[in-house]
Amino acid sequence: MASANSAEAAPEAAGSIEAAGSADGPQYLPPSVQGAVKILVTGPFGVGKTTLVGSLSEITPLRTEETMTTASSGVDDLTGRTGKTTTTVALDFGRITLNPRLALYLFGTPGQQRFWPLWDDLSRGALGAIAMVDLRRPDESFDVLGRLEEQRIPFAVAVNTFPDTPSYPEEELRSALDLLPDVPILFCDARDRRQSYDLLIDFVDHLHRNSILELQG
Amino acid sequence: MSGPVRPYVITGGRSRSTRAELALESLVSALPEPPELPDHALLNREHRRILGLCHSLLSVAEVAAHLGLPLGVVKVLVGDLWDLGAVQVLPPVPQAERLPATLLEEVLVGLRQLR
Repeated sequence: MASANSAEAAPEAAGSIEAAGSADGPQYLPPSVQGAVKILVTGPFGVGKTTLVGSLSEITPLRTEETMTTASSGVDDLTGRTGKTTTTVALDFGRITLNPRLALYLFGTPGQQRFWPLWDDLSRGALGAIAMVDLRRPDESFDVLGRLEEQRIPFAVAVNTFPDTPSYPEEELRSALDLLPDVPILFCDARDRRQSYDLLIDFVDHLHRNSILELQG
Repeated sequence: MSGPVRPYVITGGRSRSTRAELALESLVSALPEPPELPDHALLNREHRRILGLCHSLLSVAEVAAHLGLPLGVVKVLVGDLWDLGAVQVLPPVPQAERLPATLLEEVLVGLRQLR
């Protein structure tokens, strides 16, 4: 379908990320806010997660880090302690104050298998996930699509339309990505605020309609 | 980051918060008039930075980003402050208390207005 080239420049780096301790102070939520919900924006490295979060967020996207400890299989620890490897994962996120009572957080969440140890914590309580796909290298999204299905997280596929993104009929895409019929396939240039909003609205509309169907049993 | 100290030294080696319900999107603010903290409550520098930052409402994730601390560390420290009654934490909107359809409709209406 498309050639995978791992050396490809990552558009993700183009997003403006505020480093910790920057001159801009924190932008506080209105004191009337009573709670927050979250949606994950996931996909492989360089697919445009941070760009999408940046197009939607009312605050300059922030970056935070989570450390992930995994048991290592090496036997080179001379102290005899259990071997552990610590990996640092960067998460970029943004925020939308929906109304005086409710805020929405959008968490860019890495979609590679080696980050699964973090996923339970990140996805707990999420309304759903937007799984971004770059059609020039769709195979890099297979891991995360499988994970979302396994964890039963409601999701939509968002094709980030880069200028040279090839176009395919939806049926062909659905079959190539092995998606169930009820998973929406949406298209969006993640650099464009209006398109990004339409994408998010379509996704939440999909979740809303499904929740009503569930209510009606 | 926070200087040449391994992150979990700040938490006394704890990697889990006493408050399992703390999420990235949990909202934190320092209480305007915090209770008299008991003598044994030895707040470290990072606890105090969190109190200083959270004079108004921010999520756990924002606290971590602004202080340059890993999320897990911030969860432990915010959990400590919560246990001491020094901060209030608004839980993520509990899904059980509201019909998902009602919550999703509220999100949808908000997004359409902002579009």
